[in-house]
Amino acid sequence: MENRILAPNLAELYKRAANRYESLPAFATRRKELDWQPVSFRELYEKGLDLATGLIELGVEAREHVGLFGDNRFEWILADYGVQFCGAADVPRGGDVTDDEMIYIINHANVKVTFVETEQLQDKILRLRDQMPVLEEIILMDPDAETEKGVHKMQDIIDKGSDLRDQGDLRAENRMANIKPDDLFTLIYTSGTTGKPKGVMLTHANMTSQMKVIPIRLDCTDRVLSILPIWHIFERVFEMYTISCGVCTYYTTIRTLGDDLKNVEPTFMGSAPRLWENLHERILKRISQAHPMRRLLFKIAYFLGKQYSESMYHLRGNNLKLTPPSEMIRLLTLPLHLLRWLVVVPWYGFFNAAVLEPIRLSAGGSLKATISGGGALPVEIDKFFNYIGIPVLEGYGMTETSPVLAVRLPDQLVVGTVGPPVYNTEIKLVDLETRKELYPDPSDPENGRGKRGEIWVRGPQVMKGYYKEPEKTADTMEGGWLKTGDLGMITFNDCLKILGRSKATIVLSSGENLEPEPVEMRLNQSPYITNSMLVGQDKKHVGVLIELNPDEFARKGIKASSLAELSGNKEVNKIIRNEIKKMISAENGFKRFEQIQRFRILPESFEVGDELTNLYKLKRHVIRDKYADLIEEMYSPEPVTAGKV
Amino acid sequence: MEFETQLLYPIDQLLLAVMIFAIMFGMGASLTTDDFRAVIRKPRGVLIGFLSQFGLMPFVAFGLAVILELPPAFAIALILIGCLPGGTTSNMFAYFGRGSVALSIAMTTASTLMALLMMPFLLEIYASGFTLQISEEMRAAGADTDFVIPTGNIIGSLLIVLLPVAGGMYLRHRSRDWAKTAEDTAGFMAIIVILYLIGTAFIRHSGLFFDTPWQIYAASICVGLLGFLFGYWMSRLFRLPPLFQRAISLETGIQNGPIAFAIILLSFTEPIQSQMLWLAILYSTFIVITSSFITLYYRRIGKFDYEIYQNTIIHNRLFGDNYVTHYPEGFLPQRLESDPSQGNSASQKR
Repeated sequence: MENRILAPNLAELYKRAANRYESLPAFATRRKELDWQPVSFRELYEKGLDLATGLIELGVEAREHVGLFGDNRFEWILADYGVQFCGAADVPRGGDVTDDEMIYIINHANVKVTFVETEQLQDKILRLRDQMPVLEEIILMDPDAETEKGVHKMQDIIDKGSDLRDQGDLRAENRMANIKPDDLFTLIYTSGTTGKPKGVMLTHANMTSQMKVIPIRLDCTDRVLSILPIWHIFERVFEMYTISCGVCTYYTTIRTLGDDLKNVEPTFMGSAPRLWENLHERILKRISQAHPMRRLLFKIAYFLGKQYSESMYHLRGNNLKLTPPSEMIRLLTLPLHLLRWLVVVPWYGFFNAAVLEPIRLSAGGSLKATISGGGALPVEIDKFFNYIGIPVLEGYGMTETSPVLAVRLPDQLVVGTVGPPVYNTEIKLVDLETRKELYPDPSDPENGRGKRGEIWVRGPQVMKGYYKEPEKTADTMEGGWLKTGDLGMITFNDCLKILGRSKATIVLSSGENLEPEPVEMRLNQSPYITNSMLVGQDKKHVGVLIELNPDEFARKGIKASSLAELSGNKEVNKIIRNEIKKMISAENGFKRFEQIQRFRILPESFEVGDELTNLYKLKRHVIRDKYADLIEEMYSPEPVTAGKV
Repeated sequence: MEFETQLLYPIDQLLLAVMIFAIMFGMGASLTTDDFRAVIRKPRGVLIGFLSQFGLMPFVAFGLAVILELPPAFAIALILIGCLPGGTTSNMFAYFGRGSVALSIAMTTASTLMALLMMPFLLEIYASGFTLQISEEMRAAGADTDFVIPTGNIIGSLLIVLLPVAGGMYLRHRSRDWAKTAEDTAGFMAIIVILYLIGTAFIRHSGLFFDTPWQIYAASICVGLLGFLFGYWMSRLFRLPPLFQRAISLETGIQNGPIAFAIILLSFTEPIQSQMLWLAILYSTFIVITSSFITLYYRRIGKFDYEIYQNTIIHNRLFGDNYVTHYPEGFLPQRLESDPSQGNSASQKR
């Protein structure tokens, strides 16, 4: 094992990191382009202890829930240190929290003490205070902001704690010693199916188990650029992991990302698909503006990169294997791939050096690998970065599993999959209808590989349950197994491939969770619409498939012999467009990400037994499969104007 | 060995001339006047590099020629290659071999200028013995003149190839983007032309590869390899930081091949021109292969010290020049811990 620090709980991890890494920078905050403020592991630890002592003085008890509303900044991680050292758990949420969410979370989690990042959040919480009877103390994190009456400055709490510690106060150290692995370290509220968020209870043991299984080697010479929201579990696991490895995390923003990539030269990044789409667009734009000669050179380089990578995948057995491998075919094709590799390699060598390297430099140039998570990475973008030599390791996980379940390994990089399950994590696939176990299946010679079912997982990272929601917990967990609600398949080189959702929830590429039913119910109220289904998993915007009510159009004088004919009618498209716009609007209480950007009218109706269950509910995966081409075309880069809302 | 016909047809010579022009133009396009100033500001690395390039390398070439008992025309070509300045190829290899690119560029710049002075001088020292042999052979064949190294012509050819370099630098001054295009195009062209020359040589003179004695192959492969080896150990002996060691090593072994072609074509005549060209082609081919492997090797052995160096540089870039990075005890190997230049020298910054 390399030099990562392992510990039974996070407070202990922070302590061991301070003892080993001392003055090395742990986190850095940007003040100007080339002026960053570092904080060392030792400083952070001491300040965290000061804050914890101040919090204890303020009345924070062990195992209490402390609110933490704000976005990426050094004070956030400091607040987390303070809360962990008190033996308490934090309840984080981003600065874009809505009024309803804030009230619900604080009341539901019984938050007595909370941190807020900015003056705006301070105003918000003071305005809502009457509706949050349990809330006692508010602490403002931004050192440059003015506090209102009854609000503490974070620095004052730290100073108070520092004074107390100077006088020999050891309460924080004692609290640390009493943390049990099964205690919560955080309670993360995720948008739930019925509108009310659910509190995911994650324990110290959950998080520390992740430190053991992350398959990326990092050490003190690495730099991590942090861009995802810090309260998101996927970002948070990397913050913990960088602390474990002695790596400095540099906070950036989407606005300054281009410069920061160049100046920080990160060696590692965790990121969401959105970031890669963004970088991909930027690179293509720059190339399209370059001289024709350079465009040509890039095209040649990309082609060679593709040939080189593909032959490497085949030679190393890392190609996508969805069907049982045949020894014969392998023996026949292997020499061909070897030949291709030999022909390509000298040319690739030159183009890699002259053309692809400058492009990689625009992404920092030093990236050893990156992990993409928090949504599926579009396959063409995935391939693009791997072909030009930036290894993208796609991972899979969810808040409920703190979060990593599977991730591609540098030497098992199978594009199109999320890699093998991490160490100590069991995965099984269950048939949606019969609930039969499809994988692992000892009766099958292939052990159930290549079969498609719902992914169930069991391992040390799986949550304790939903806070104060025993029914929802029971719905999701069964005999130690957590039902992910995703469909998947195990490939023939033992990697997990995600095939979509079995649950209705749509996760957009921005990370927003969208419940389609309320939107669809509203749409179905239109006289013109019989049925509708939202789509848009991993897309930027939500889209909808519409089944028309031909009778209503007939009444309006638009007659057609078939739905297919109606769907092509311009007038019909216009009516539907207006209906969608009118019904799914902000005035009707729909959030911005719920507002439909694109639609397609189906040429056939849904039939019971095919697209609908006996109870007339949508069989979403059946419809998605049947109309996969239509959905793909709806999201194609150049939208057909007829279908745009 | 003798060439019955000319090695290069006029069309090939024209191609070669265009290639030389393009490459030297591309080389200029990658240089700025700042690079010259950097040489003057931090002369230590460049000085040791200079010793390695003009001290060791010609001697290595001469030694090989003597030990392998090369025919005089090949010997002169080998010594000529040993005396050449560095080219831009070495900068690219230095970059990928985790060497100091700044030093590599500085050495290329300095050696290209110094070549005007050093090449005639060095050729005079090392090649004179072989010119006597050629003169004797020519006299035996009935000629009535002595063979001499055409020093004036060599300086003239050097000046000619420096013209496109100046042109490239001017382009870089005007448009960075176009300059980058010129640089890449030149590199691409060089590969194509070299491959074309080898290909045509193979077709037209298919026996040539088999007729060439092993000593000539050995010489054209070993001159680069020994340059890498001696350059590395010499800079290590002078206690230069690892990044400098790798840059100097690659810069010493990789010579500016196109200048060799230009000088041979412009300053020498048959019967020895074809023989000299053949050696230059062999050297240019093998050096790409050997330096690729050396670069991969340096990349591996240099990984750790380069990452530490880079991290330190970035800490200083972002946290201020006075920021000192302290690694945990036992993290740095002894070799790097006792190296005061590790990452603190401004001349290392790329």
